[in-house]
Amino acid sequence: MAQASSKIRNFSIIAHIDHGKSTLADRLIEFTGTMSTRELKEQVLDSMDLERERGITIKLQAVRLQYKAKDGETYDLNLIDTPGHVDFSYEVSRSLAACEGALLVVDAAQGIEAQTLANVYLALENDLEIIPVINKIDLPSADPEMVRKEVEDVIGIDASEAIMASAKMGLGIEEILEAIVKKIPPPQGEDEKPLKALIFDSKFDSYKGAIPYIRVLDGKVSKGTNIKMMSSGKQFEITEVGVFSPSMIVVDELKAGQVGYIAGSIRNVRDTRVGDTVTDAERPATEALPGYRKAVSMVFCGLYPVESSDYDKLKDALEKLQLNDASLMYDNEVSAALGFGFRCGFLGLLHMDIVQERLEREFGFNIITTAPSVIYQVNLTDGTQIAIDNPALLPDVGNIESIEEPMVRATVMLPSEYIGSIMELNQEKRGNFINMDYITAARVNLQYEIPLSEIVYDYFDQLKSRTKGYASLDYELIGYKEAKLVKLDIMLNGEIVDALSFIVHRDKAYFRGRKLVEKLRGMIPRQMFEIPVQAVIGSKVIARENIKAIRKDVLAKCYGGDISRKRKLLEKQKEGKKRMKQVGSVEIPQEAFMAVLKIDD
Amino acid sequence: MTKAMTSLYVHVPFCLRKCYYCAFYSLSLAEHAGDERDKIREYLTGLEQEIKVRHTEAPTGVSSLFLGGGTPTALNPQELDRLLNFISSRFSFPSTDKDGLFPIEKTVEANPGTITKEKLAVLRHYGINRISLGAQSFNDSQLQIIGRIHTSEDIKLGVELIREAGFANLNLDLMFGLPGQTIEEWQDTVRQAVSLAPEHLSIYGLSLEEETPLGRQYDLSSLSKQEKPPLPDDDQQADMYEWVVSFLETQGYIHYEIANFAQPGFEGRHNLSYWQGKDYLGLGPGAVSCLDAVRTKNVQDVDLYLNKLASGIKPVGEEVESLTREQQISEYVMLGLRTTKGIDIKLFEEKFKINIQDIYGYKLVNYIDRDLLLLNEGWLRINPAYLFVSNSILRDLIL
Repeated sequence: MAQASSKIRNFSIIAHIDHGKSTLADRLIEFTGTMSTRELKEQVLDSMDLERERGITIKLQAVRLQYKAKDGETYDLNLIDTPGHVDFSYEVSRSLAACEGALLVVDAAQGIEAQTLANVYLALENDLEIIPVINKIDLPSADPEMVRKEVEDVIGIDASEAIMASAKMGLGIEEILEAIVKKIPPPQGEDEKPLKALIFDSKFDSYKGAIPYIRVLDGKVSKGTNIKMMSSGKQFEITEVGVFSPSMIVVDELKAGQVGYIAGSIRNVRDTRVGDTVTDAERPATEALPGYRKAVSMVFCGLYPVESSDYDKLKDALEKLQLNDASLMYDNEVSAALGFGFRCGFLGLLHMDIVQERLEREFGFNIITTAPSVIYQVNLTDGTQIAIDNPALLPDVGNIESIEEPMVRATVMLPSEYIGSIMELNQEKRGNFINMDYITAARVNLQYEIPLSEIVYDYFDQLKSRTKGYASLDYELIGYKEAKLVKLDIMLNGEIVDALSFIVHRDKAYFRGRKLVEKLRGMIPRQMFEIPVQAVIGSKVIARENIKAIRKDVLAKCYGGDISRKRKLLEKQKEGKKRMKQVGSVEIPQEAFMAVLKIDD
Repeated sequence: MTKAMTSLYVHVPFCLRKCYYCAFYSLSLAEHAGDERDKIREYLTGLEQEIKVRHTEAPTGVSSLFLGGGTPTALNPQELDRLLNFISSRFSFPSTDKDGLFPIEKTVEANPGTITKEKLAVLRHYGINRISLGAQSFNDSQLQIIGRIHTSEDIKLGVELIREAGFANLNLDLMFGLPGQTIEEWQDTVRQAVSLAPEHLSIYGLSLEEETPLGRQYDLSSLSKQEKPPLPDDDQQADMYEWVVSFLETQGYIHYEIANFAQPGFEGRHNLSYWQGKDYLGLGPGAVSCLDAVRTKNVQDVDLYLNKLASGIKPVGEEVESLTREQQISEYVMLGLRTTKGIDIKLFEEKFKINIQDIYGYKLVNYIDRDLLLLNEGWLRINPAYLFVSNSILRDLIL
């Protein structure tokens, strides 16, 4: 083993939302003097505004901590932060692949949550060393001993040396750092071997171009190195290498075991594919690293610019976002109602929500998001099967033999007092019971097979509200199952608006159609003529409401002293109208396209 | 082409008491009891100054005069005399309008609670030939709710005095959509108004302005839970409007603008000049002028107004609006389509050197196809059936 890498430790932190991961990361940064307390903004690692506002981590981040351990040696500790939400387990697996160990942070009052468990299993699969940390021991309701037992019982790892900590109070921080040094193995790998580095993330900088974040496995890379992307064979000359401290700092070289970034006028976003292996063009490695499995999109929706002329700008924006977010998929799509746009695939609803919000915030767009859908497998009467990710594309009923929908195994951890209520919810959501076991006397692990479309619909909100926020959810795709599904279309003023179509279970079609039509009547403002709003299945109308024609929209009087003010009023109203999409002769507000998700409000 | 004449507006910012819905600049004389005559004298001194400084801004003469407020008739006969004397001595008024058919229109606004024989005689003396009377309603309890100082009886007496004084052109202002008003009550008000045979009627829906007592009372965000009569909703207001439009037509009135009705030949020419996009000069505190596409507004405070004039400068506020070509066109369209005759598209092209259809293209075609706009014999107008929802069209035509 090469000498230098014995002073490197690469680790991540696994924790449920609110269990204190970001605060702990802040304390580690502070303790090692990587940043002064003055520089340290709250939760350094959550660098997006969105992340701070929502108190969640979306993007994985990396930071190098230099720590002088009790043995007198100075170590480079590379922390690769991970998101905690179920949607982002793909990102988690990426950061875990770049590490040798992980801190498992569990809230001393709450215990293990479903998502934490899933991530720990991911870490164990990657042969990572797990260091349990029981956080928030300062809370009056903390029960560290019970949580320690839970870690042992549920995960099956030795928690006798679990570190008792309170990131908020600064307790246990040094112990954690010592444990990282002592327990997590240094990275394997040799500086002398040909360069082999894994791209685990990337970002786009308008001056430096695409910047891959890498973990070097073997060899080294420095300014002047000619690198080659092993998947595409494309070559680039490196102009800068550096580490995260947590802002980017230029260093001379990155060697085996180290984590950092490289830059080299990589103009095209697609040339820095996350999961790709970087090697030295002059002395290439013989084979690439295993890389990542492709992120699986679970939820799909259409994204359209409100102003059709913004199409190219939206395309650029999606391309830029994808660079930072390899799990975002998109493809061209045309809607009769909305024109040219994109069908996008997301890891889940939160992911979709975030992408939409980033497009609006970072790129200043008005966009229309259509209701989310999953991928259906449609068996046609001619014996072929097609995959449908856009309800509008479902073939004519006469050509359909059967429709299969994606199913997930949903794992819900919850306090036992809510079992009845959640079983009822799962029943409503067409779930099939698989298993239930007691983690402790007060906590239960519940497993159901549920259609993904039901999870997408409003499952998470329902789960939270029925358990006062105490339940946590994890799910994984387990396959497809035939179901009695129908396409429900919405007609406005007698014409089908394809962007409002959705696929629904036959037993729920009437109810949802009825509710959606009512909701739309409330959301679409009155216009110059009466607008019938109808829900139809095939040619059968199952619900109808009328939006009455507007009857008063006038400037009462307008004389010399009023003219300027009235013109400005109309100008303002004209601006407001820009958030409306003209479909045929009807103007539809942006949010109406998501109305199907809000019909139970 | 010789420069067209300018219409002249003079603002008289005094009322006996402010009405609860009014957002115009006006001082309540009741609140200045004791020194109210001094206030008016100061104002008249200022106005005299302003006329001296600005009468050159109507170089080719005044095409119409409108004395508005506030309440011009809140002034006493001597004050009115002084005011009209300044105006007629400094501005040149042709004896008839450009077609030589009618005498120049000279209007004075009046509140039924402020009319006397003496005041009317002064107005007549200075050639005032039209009275615009703020009747608003013939229902006494509604008049009270909106803070009017008069009763329905006062309106009738006022009209009698006006006719006796020899005025042959009378406008009555009426309001619908008042708190608690039913359509039957509205119909009764309109019928009573028509029975007085005014040559002109201005009919407005009540609009609540934020900074008024009524606006605050009906502000949804206000916490006051006091019992108050409900405002008629949009549908009820539309019913009231549609009814009055058809009723007045049966009574021989021509609906010539969204809110205005006249017996043939009695259309308000001063107001028409606004809707035809003509220049206007506004004098007095808070008055607005628009000359050669530059819009200014006088400071809206008598003291500030006097200070500016005392130091020899025009009493205009800081905000000077130089209208862009787009804004000029937008306003021209917004105003022109308020009239039922609409926009003379040849005149439009002469004025802006472009065909109106070239500006709006498909948008215009679409509205015409859908019968929302009508284009015939060179005039573009809103289908009368859609006048009460005209904003839905107008906001689309703002450039």
